[in-house]
This record gives sequence, C-alpha cells and structure tokens, in this order.
Amino acid sequence: MSFSIRPGEVLGLIGPNGSGKTTLFECLGGVLPSDSGRVLALRPGSGQAEDRQLTPAEQSAAMFYLPDGIAPWPAQTVRWALAFVAGFFGPATNAARRTTNDVVRELDLEPLLDSRIGELSKGQRKRVLLAIGLLTPQPVLLADEPFDGLDLRQSRDVARTLRAHAESGRTLLLSIHQISDAARVCDRFVLLSGGRVRGEGTFDELSAVAAAQGASCADLEEVFLALT
Amino acid sequence: MPRAMRWLLAKELRELMAARAWWVLLVAMGPLVGVSFISAVRTYAEASGLGGTAAGVGEAFSPLIGVWAPTFSACEIAAAFLLPFVGIRLVAGDRQSGALKIELQNNMPAVARIAAKSVVLLAGWIVVMAAPAIAVVLWWSYGGSIYPPELLTVVMGHVLNAGLTIALAGATASVTEHPSTAAILTLSVTVGTWILNFIAAVHGGVWERAAGYTPTAMVAEFQHGLVRLDVVLIALILVAAGLVLAAIWMRLGVPVRHRAYESAALTALTAAAVLASTLVTPSWDASENRANSFSESDERTLAQIRTPLSIEVHLAPEDPRRVDLDRRALSKLRRVMPKVRVRYISATSIGLFEQTSPHYGEIWYDLGGRQAMTRATTAESVVETIFSLAGVTPPLEDAESVFRGHPLAVPPRGAATVFYGVWPAAIAAAAFFSRRRQA
Repeated sequence: MSFSIRPGEVLGLIGPNGSGKTTLFECLGGVLPSDSGRVLALRPGSGQAEDRQLTPAEQSAAMFYLPDGIAPWPAQTVRWALAFVAGFFGPATNAARRTTNDVVRELDLEPLLDSRIGELSKGQRKRVLLAIGLLTPQPVLLADEPFDGLDLRQSRDVARTLRAHAESGRTLLLSIHQISDAARVCDRFVLLSGGRVRGEGTFDELSAVAAAQGASCADLEEVFLALT
Repeated sequence: MPRAMRWLLAKELRELMAARAWWVLLVAMGPLVGVSFISAVRTYAEASGLGGTAAGVGEAFSPLIGVWAPTFSACEIAAAFLLPFVGIRLVAGDRQSGALKIELQNNMPAVARIAAKSVVLLAGWIVVMAAPAIAVVLWWSYGGSIYPPELLTVVMGHVLNAGLTIALAGATASVTEHPSTAAILTLSVTVGTWILNFIAAVHGGVWERAAGYTPTAMVAEFQHGLVRLDVVLIALILVAAGLVLAAIWMRLGVPVRHRAYESAALTALTAAAVLASTLVTPSWDASENRANSFSESDERTLAQIRTPLSIEVHLAPEDPRRVDLDRRALSKLRRVMPKVRVRYISATSIGLFEQTSPHYGEIWYDLGGRQAMTRATTAESVVETIFSLAGVTPPLEDAESVFRGHPLAVPPRGAATVFYGVWPAAIAAAAFFSRRRQA
C-alpha cells in the first residue's frame, strides 16, 4: 500500500478489523519490524516526494505512534504521566506546541489528574492517551482508534480538539473503523481492505470514483462499501 | 545528565516504589536477617562461654565467619528468590502495560534505558541491605568487634550477586513475552548453577573450575573475606552481558533475526572475555584472621621459590581429605604461587572403594625434579613439604601476628524486636505513605 499525507491535515485510515491499520502504524512508529517499505520526506514547498528514505532516527523524530488499548504506567497518576511525557520527549518547537495545562483543559482531564491510570475507565483512559499523544513533540501524530471507548459527546469534543491541533500545524494520521467518526474529523481518507489501498482522497473525490462505478454516494459509509 | 535520562530515572524510581514485589522483598528481609543474626549471635555467645558453657578457643572467634557470613546469607536467599521478581516486574511491566511502545519512540539508546532500570534496581537493593546494616549496628552496640575490610568484602559480594540477578532478570524479562515465562527462566538458571555445583562435586575437573564462578561459589568466597580479581571480572562481564542482551531484545522495532544474530555475537564475545578473565590471578585476603592466607612469614618465603612446583593428588572429588586440602592449603598456595600445577587422579567420584588402591591418598610434590610424597592435607604439612624440597629453612612464627579472636558472650538483645516487629512495621508504614504520596 502507498499513500501520502500533507502537513497540517487530518488523514483517516479507514478499514475493517484486520485490514492492517494497527500493523502499519506500529511499523511506522518503529515498534514493529517491517519486511519492506519506505517513508519518503516531502521536499519543502514542492509537494513532491524526495527520493530519499527517512532513517529510523528521522522517522522517529517525525512521527509519534499512539497505540490503542494500552494502559501505560498503571500505578502512576494521570498528572504524573502527562508531566513525564512532556519531560521525557521534550517540548515541540513548532506552532503546534501546547502546554500540559492546555491539553488537560482541551480534553477535560482536570477531574482525573490525581487518579491512577490503571483505575480509569476505557473512555477516560482513551482521553489520557490522546493527551499523551498531543503532548509529544513529533510533527506527525499517528493515533490508533482515537474515538474507541468514547461516548458521543466525548467523541465530538475530541474531534474538535484534534481539528484544533491540526489547524495549529500538527499533522494527524488517524486509524478509524467507525466511519461516522472519520467523517466528522478527517480532511482526506485512505480506504483499506484486504491489506490494500482501495481509494485515497477527499469525500468528494472518493464519491466521484464510487459514482463512476454506479454506486450510491450519499455518505462516506456508502462510498466505503462501494470501493472496498 | 540529559533531560530524558533524568525523567526516565525518576519514572523507574516511581515504578519501583509502586511495585508490591519490592515492598514484599523489603518486609521479608527483616525476619530473614533477624533469624540468621539472632541464631549466629547466640551460637557465637555460647561458644564464647555464655550460659555456663565452656569458652572455646579464642582463635576460632572471627565475626566474619561467626556472624557476618550467616547474617548476610539472608541477602543470598533474597537475591535468588525475591529480587528476580522485582527486576522482572520493572522490565516486563513496561511491555505488559504498553508503556514500552511509547517510551521506545524517544531516540534514547536501548542500553541507556536498561541502565536506568538497573541503577534504580541496584539502589533498591542497597535499601534492602539496610536490614543487615542494622544487624551490624546491633553487633557494634553489643560490644562486638568490626573489621571494616572483611565486612565491606561481604557487602561487595552480595552487591555483585544482586547485580548478576538484576542482569539475569532483565535479560529474561526482555527476551520473553510474558513475566511468568521470565520468572521460570530466571529460576531455571539459578537451579542450573546448583546442578553445576553438584556435578562439580561429583566429577571435579573442568566442572569444578566452572562451578567456582557460580553466584553461590562467588558469594561463599566473599563471605570468607577473599576477593579474587578473576571472579570480580567475570561477574562484571556477566552483568554487562545480561544488560546488553536485555537492551537488544527491548528494541521491538528490530527484526527478530537481527536480534538473534546480535545475541549470538554477544554470547561469543562474553565467552571469550570470561575465558580470558579466568587467566587473571591477583586476589586479596580481606579477612582479619587471614583465613585465606598462610602466615605472612610463610608467604614471604614461598614467594621467593621460583622453581616450578607441581602437585599430584590421589584423592577423589568427594573425599573429605581432598576438600580439606583444597580449602585449607591449595587455595592459599595458589594465591602465593599462581603458577603451581595441581593434578587430581582418581578412578571414582567418592573414593570409598579406592581406599585399598596402592597409591590412593598420596600427595606427590615435584619441585624442579625433586620429589616428595605425604598423605597429610593440612596447610602446615603442605608448606613444610615445599620448604623441605626447596631446601629453605622454615621461618619462625611471629607470635604478634597470630589472630587471637574476638569472643563475645552476649545474647542478641533487642534483635527480635527490631527484625520481627519494628522493621516490618516501618516498611508497612513506608509503603502506605509512599503510595499516598504518589497518588
């Protein structure tokens, strides 16, 4: 599979369970070895990919992968975990920089700050994980299922927060299997199925492709079903 | 120190403080040290004449053997059966919780990560050793003699032993997928060293030489006040190898095949370094009673003998006479004459059915072609035989340098209260407040 992402955009990686979204993210995040593949840097201003593969160190400096379903440092409090991430990774140097207090406010974590991570509910833990991801300094954030475990209101709030970070210059690559969540937050979409890219583009671009195949294109769900 | 490293150390320290395994280890150390110390002091006191018993020979009263070795043996038990779980918890916990996937995305070298964990674990072990340190204070308060070099040697042995355990636990926790597998693997290695000791006792030879470098043998030498450079070097090499192995397998993003190749290279390098270290001979006797040395005058005379000496011992590995000869004479001789060649000859492992063989029990000495045979296994007889072959006059024994011992006929006052009551209560309180403080 091959796809591109632009600075400051929110790209949704959409596919059913088992389509390889998490595996791809883990390879990009450097926590799972890959058999082959390249990450190419954009030449500034040109929008063209340089014919140069990023080194593992450059890749690590460019992207942060936020796993789904983990409970890091379960015995520690949320307050300490956020301080640790901010201190351990250091501050971002670009415009997307946020302080811990900003992220706590954006994700409504104030009531949870003195709770231990291991004692949080799934939705609370997901918001803490998002805070961890948003505090890291890498310009690209790869978030695996950022809406999993959140209720409707929380999903909307998180989507708003993610959009705000993207508008500040942070590039977001989100792995999402709930298409309604993806439609709410993403600028563009990469549709995955069977380990292959079945479509890439904005909703309008994908709708056009689906319409050309004679499919109904009222919403992203129908487009996804038509193309995968 | 880089900012990320400071944060990592702080995080590992908090994780250690949050680990129940560490608090259990701390609580257990009180009774473990208490029972050893109280029993040792009572025996020492009875041998010194307490409770109407007849006082023993003064020369036998060495706190090193009588008190420190048994008291600090609690550390050996804790290092073998409790410390591995603390180490595994600290290394495998990150993998289990998913924290490792986050931390790995900082470009810090894996060796630095495992070093941070090891430093914190070692600091945790130093805190654990507060229990035997209290025993030292109690002994001092009873009026007991303390000879710092031998006490420091015992402490050094147990710190090195803990280092080996930490490295082993780190390596197994990093290589395996699950903490329980790591625990089984770690305990298997410990049991494996016991099996090696058993085989060495039965078969001798190369097995005996290898068994001399197991943690049990290493600790035993330190507990006798002997510091052997080869043993220290090998322990440090194994600690480094264990930590590097842990670092290799911590890198989840590196293909397993690459990690396996790196591990094989590390194993080969470690084996070569260990073999080279076995050739190193310097050693130091830190015991006050020179338990690992001949008298100073004998050593001076022996050091002047340059002619090659070889000894042929016709005794089986498990024959008590051979054990006596090794411990009381040959180990001391090797320290003064590192190039002495010793050859053991026996047809069986226990020697019981060889007693009637023509040459069984004979010890042949060959010094530059001059030969002598004795059946005596004491240090005095060995030295006398060598002096006789070398044609040198045995030096006169200096009465001033003879160790007179430190008898002490006092009961272990207050020790039970301290180790069975105050210590567990203090640890429980510390655990409670530490947990509240972290919240």
